[in-house]
Amino acid sequence: MAHPSQLGFQDAASPVMEELLHFHDHALMIVFLISTLVLYIIVAMVSTKLTNKYILDSQEIEVIWTILPAFILILIALPSLRILYLMDEINDPHLTIKAMGHQWYWSYEYTDYEDLGFDSYMLPTQDLAPGQFRLLEADHRMVIPVESPIRVLVSAEDVLHSWAVPSLGVKMDAVPGRLNQTAFIASRPGVFYGQCSEICGANHSFMPIVVEAVPLQYFEKWSSLMLEDT
Amino acid sequence: MAGEEEESNKGFRLLGILDVQNTPCARDAILHGAGGSLTAGLLHFLATSRVKRSFDVGFAGFMLTTLGSWFYCRITNAKLRVQQRVIQDGIKNKVTYEGTVLDPTNKPGAETSSRPS
Repeated sequence: MAHPSQLGFQDAASPVMEELLHFHDHALMIVFLISTLVLYIIVAMVSTKLTNKYILDSQEIEVIWTILPAFILILIALPSLRILYLMDEINDPHLTIKAMGHQWYWSYEYTDYEDLGFDSYMLPTQDLAPGQFRLLEADHRMVIPVESPIRVLVSAEDVLHSWAVPSLGVKMDAVPGRLNQTAFIASRPGVFYGQCSEICGANHSFMPIVVEAVPLQYFEKWSSLMLEDT
Repeated sequence: MAGEEEESNKGFRLLGILDVQNTPCARDAILHGAGGSLTAGLLHFLATSRVKRSFDVGFAGFMLTTLGSWFYCRITNAKLRVQQRVIQDGIKNKVTYEGTVLDPTNKPGAETSSRPS
């Protein structure tokens, strides 16, 4: 999860997010080199004693500062497009979950085998146990099996919402009357937090998403318990 | 304890942009770049005795060496990651398919005996 004064991404919990992290490092290195170049040129311009009041044009430098940025953009675009297509690959999901956005909570439906559905409300601050995270914990987590491709169908019942979990590299708008699909694989067990990412009213900041990835046998136990409760 | 972990994870950011400690390959690329810059600039100065131009050559050496080292390291890492994933999938599939028709280590003669009736 996020920690105070964090600047970078959260640790990746899915292969797609790992690729996004690597691409971000790549783009940031290019940004750093360009910034260094600009800084060096500024220092050189400021410290030179040479002046030429009669420069009108220079074809050579014009060619350089056209070709070089085009080359840099290609260097950035190629890995970017690769990840874009990687994210859209169809990966034969083992489980489909519907995430419905409401004002102001999420509801999850696991209807592949049995009819399991539950709401997920934020835990109020006064009800938190020691060690739990303020504004991030929910009363019911979306539990998924680890290392399994999961498809999430996202929609909304009232206004626009957005289902986002940064460490899984997932964000999908929840649009009323529309079904949006996203997919991911949780590569390690753990609890992953996200928050609604589309302004949806007074309690937009208070409808978190909590995804818990567990080994398959624990997922089966959890789903049986949830079915008994409902 | 948590504070110590946070301090060790807070990498040093070059120009406030690049987290050198926590970005894979960044530290090596910058160090190689520094070395390349020093070498190129010094050699040019020894050859021409032109200070300002040697600085320019040194800077160009820094850019090229950093980029080259960065790309080489990232491509190597990416290939290793792909290999790691292939090995992981292979181990997972071996456990799943062991003893069945789909086991890749099954010899052709043993296939008929392992088919389910």
